[in-house]
Amino acid sequence: MALSLRASLHLVSDPRNLDASVDEVFQMMLGANCQRSAGPAKIEGEAVTAVVGFCGLLTGACILRAGNAAAIEMAGRMTDMEFDAVDDIVKDAIGEICNILAGAWKGKVPDLSANCGLSVPTVITGRDYYLHVHAPEFRLNHAYSFEETGFTVSIVCDGLQ
Amino acid sequence: MSDIRALIVDDSSVMRKIVERALRQAGLDPLVVHEAGSGTEGLELLRSRQVDLILSDINMPLMDGLEFLRQLRAQHLAPGVPVVMITTESSEEHVKQAILAGAQGYIRKPFTAEQVKERVLPLLHVV
Repeated sequence: MALSLRASLHLVSDPRNLDASVDEVFQMMLGANCQRSAGPAKIEGEAVTAVVGFCGLLTGACILRAGNAAAIEMAGRMTDMEFDAVDDIVKDAIGEICNILAGAWKGKVPDLSANCGLSVPTVITGRDYYLHVHAPEFRLNHAYSFEETGFTVSIVCDGLQ
Repeated sequence: MSDIRALIVDDSSVMRKIVERALRQAGLDPLVVHEAGSGTEGLELLRSRQVDLILSDINMPLMDGLEFLRQLRAQHLAPGVPVVMITTESSEEHVKQAILAGAQGYIRKPFTAEQVKERVLPLLHVV
């Protein structure tokens, strides 16, 4: 019988896995504590968004979005460098954080980890844009406080076999 | 003491710097680091340089880390040099594939400098 994740949907979509992944990645790679925010993060003005796709038994994406100030802080903590603006290194850092988050999240469910691949990151910068992703299976949208700013991480699933 | 020469293969320049930092924090000194942004670039570099250690990502465009490793062995480049995969892929199947392709070690991202030390130093016979 072919492996199916459908019976494990409650495990795969458990919001605690996403919180645990964010906590693990930010602690280990950035040395930072993040707290889950009760309400939606307000990300206004210029922002950086990284997207890593999932393919295999689960199709969808992991999306990390942060305002420029948060993105610069994240990149600085990750690289021990100082940045004045969102340059190519900052974009690379945000893409890599999203990549590691996606891997950590899918690693929380063994069958998902072994049967779902990751795309290379795509990073989008600018202002006044919205990412529309059709997610008929499930969607997790979590906001976190980070230093004096915030960011959001979303897991969107448009297919689950 | 002679330099320890490491090749880091990752399409992210940020990750290459983070891995280098972890190697230095692990006590590898003196350390010379060569960087490659792709498997193809890594193979080309190894045709003209000797290294003592190779660390490679798996998920990279064009040539992934496993194919880089297979080509390394097929082309007899860097014979006897230990290869450690550093990757977001954490399943047993991925680890098995890496070992079968010829890797001597596997580090999952996110990682600490201590984890890099534990995996890498024994391969270099450094106490």
